[in-house]
Amino acid sequence: MTELALDIRGIAKSYDGHVAVRELSLAVPRGMVYGLLGPNGAGKTTTIRMILDIIAPDQGSIRLFGRSHKEGGVLDRLGYLPEERGLYKKMSVRDVLRFLAELKGVKRRVADPRIDQWLDRLSLRTPEKDWSTAKIDELSRGMQQKVQFISTLLHEPELVILDEPFSGLDPINAQALKDTVVDLKRAGKTVIFSTHLMDNAERLCDSVCIIARGEKVLDGSVAAVKAENAGRTVVLALDGSAGDALAPVFRDKSLVDRVDDQSRFFEIELAAGADAQHLLKRIVDTGVRVQRFERVQPSLHQIFLQRVGATGVEEGMTGHG
Amino acid sequence: MGKLWVVIKREYLERVRSKWFIVVTLLGPVFFGAIMILPGYLSIRGMREARVSNVRIVDATGAGLGARIAEKLVPASLQATDGGNRAQVDIVPMSELPALEETLVAAVMARDLVGYLIVDTATMASGRARYAGRNAGSVGEVEAVESAVRAALLSSRIESAGIDATTAESLTQLRVRLQSERITDTGKGGSGLAGAIFGFAIAFLLYISIILYGQAILRGVMEEKTTRVAEVVMSSVSPDILLAGKVIGVGAVGLTQQLTWVASGVLFWTQRARIFSLLGFPSMPAISFPTIEPMVLVALLLFFILGYTFYASLFAAVGAMVGSQEEAQQAAQPVIMLLVFSIIFVQPVMTNPTGRLAEVMSWLPFSSPIIMPMRMTATQVSGLEISAVLLGLVLACFVSVWVSARIYRVGLLMYGKRPSIRELAKWVSRA
Repeated sequence: MTELALDIRGIAKSYDGHVAVRELSLAVPRGMVYGLLGPNGAGKTTTIRMILDIIAPDQGSIRLFGRSHKEGGVLDRLGYLPEERGLYKKMSVRDVLRFLAELKGVKRRVADPRIDQWLDRLSLRTPEKDWSTAKIDELSRGMQQKVQFISTLLHEPELVILDEPFSGLDPINAQALKDTVVDLKRAGKTVIFSTHLMDNAERLCDSVCIIARGEKVLDGSVAAVKAENAGRTVVLALDGSAGDALAPVFRDKSLVDRVDDQSRFFEIELAAGADAQHLLKRIVDTGVRVQRFERVQPSLHQIFLQRVGATGVEEGMTGHG
Repeated sequence: MGKLWVVIKREYLERVRSKWFIVVTLLGPVFFGAIMILPGYLSIRGMREARVSNVRIVDATGAGLGARIAEKLVPASLQATDGGNRAQVDIVPMSELPALEETLVAAVMARDLVGYLIVDTATMASGRARYAGRNAGSVGEVEAVESAVRAALLSSRIESAGIDATTAESLTQLRVRLQSERITDTGKGGSGLAGAIFGFAIAFLLYISIILYGQAILRGVMEEKTTRVAEVVMSSVSPDILLAGKVIGVGAVGLTQQLTWVASGVLFWTQRARIFSLLGFPSMPAISFPTIEPMVLVALLLFFILGYTFYASLFAAVGAMVGSQEEAQQAAQPVIMLLVFSIIFVQPVMTNPTGRLAEVMSWLPFSSPIIMPMRMTATQVSGLEISAVLLGLVLACFVSVWVSARIYRVGLLMYGKRPSIRELAKWVSRA
């Protein structure tokens, strides 16, 4: 038994000359919550679709639990929540869930009690109202999301892939989703989710991979990623406005790489080899009143911006998912 | 294989359970019953209404023509049961006609009479007679009266020419009935007309079911695409299995419906004597049903399955290409044109099933599922030719399924504008 739930080596995919994914390799150990981060159009959905054998990569190999993902029964151990959600509108809730479970090889008599459990747990079946016989299009959007979510987990998959799971969720469903991800991790399952919301990723993930323009920018455990990128971020807060006094300091490329200027509050990225002490001196010399000057660990959000950059986001937006 | 079964089961059960399916399937037998019983019922009703006791014949000829007409007016089939209950004949002189007619008009208005017929010397001379009544608008009934007058007049004239009454009677009783029978290599094969009607019915049934269930496939694929459920399903099964399951499942729905229809039709047909006697109809004229050899039945079934597969896969490709109902209507047009092109040749092929047009249309893969079964039942087609056409159709099915599966694979996950022909070609080549 291999330790890796997912092992991707050198996959690539292009559409009509547009490269969606190039030479991407990923390794996700079992029992881990893994974040696939990137701007819209970075190639996250394409990567996920290749893992699920919905589309074929032009090159490279994909292995799940140490076996080829094309091997019979391997994909049945996966649960998938696509970014674009949808169910058969005219089918009843129970029939849809049964159908999707049967497609994963779960017999009806096994599926039925699980369906009941989930419906109870997500309040789709209460003493007042039982939604299991209702047709999908009679359900509210939030309830449809719950049903879709149940369908992802009904066959008790070992690896759960969630594509932009938080998009379009109301706060209550978003919380339910976070709780479930934590539960899944406790139960020893592997969860991979893609998102462009760094806050969620930072709180939920053990490891992350940031991709942009179809390429891996960095990967590793959240702690390691932060440590690697640590020490170069400085937070500066002023007493009163600085006016243009600091502009010459920030323009010095030997000292400052990038500044997030919020008028009285600054997140400063030190240039490689620059000394924070030196920067502080320069700032004080301009005559501004410093309230706070602190070297901090960067947030994933900052690491993301720093490594991918605004241009990556812009370019990525025009491409395929 | 298990997953294919799951997909087939869903496609089948979801459709068979729908109200639309149940209504249409049950309407079939009702329709069969109606076309079987209604003509009989109507003709009986017609006969009863024309019952002569309700028609008065006013005879001013002075030559007994009225009595003859009354005799002719009662159809032979009713004479026995009705015990010679004939129309009342009033023999009056010409001068009393206007007064009598007034009372008759009143009687008809009061619904004591259906109508009255006036024959006079002019009738004897030139065949001119008058009929008035509530049923004067009914072509059939007026024609019945007219032919009774004609027959009476004829027998009267023959008699006055010096031929005795019984000879005259037999002379006027002449009726021509042409019974046509089809002869094939294996001998007599039932009535030619019945064969043609059967062939036409088969062609039409195939056309209707292919277009109906082909469109059902199109809608099904489009639903999966537009609701985005396709992506979830495709994370569990390959698009090929999904497509196959859909085509088989919907095809099974079509077969279920048609078997119900055929079974009810056969039931009505075999039980028609009992049904008619239950309803109090006299026995219907015997129509010999065309004898169908088992091999022909197998061929018919194959034509349905292959024709359906050919068109269903094309409709599936169309469904995967489009994103809305309006687009679907446009994009499906070429496929529907192929079907319509086949059905407009049904009429000419039926009138001349051995002609060159019939042959060519029954060879082309897109029209053979409709034209060949009709040709086969209307005339004799060699087993070799049928096998060759079936083989061609199988090949055409392979091509259409192969191309459609590729379009389906790519199209199901493509949103946005409808692909051009060139883009479609790319989808097919790279999938």
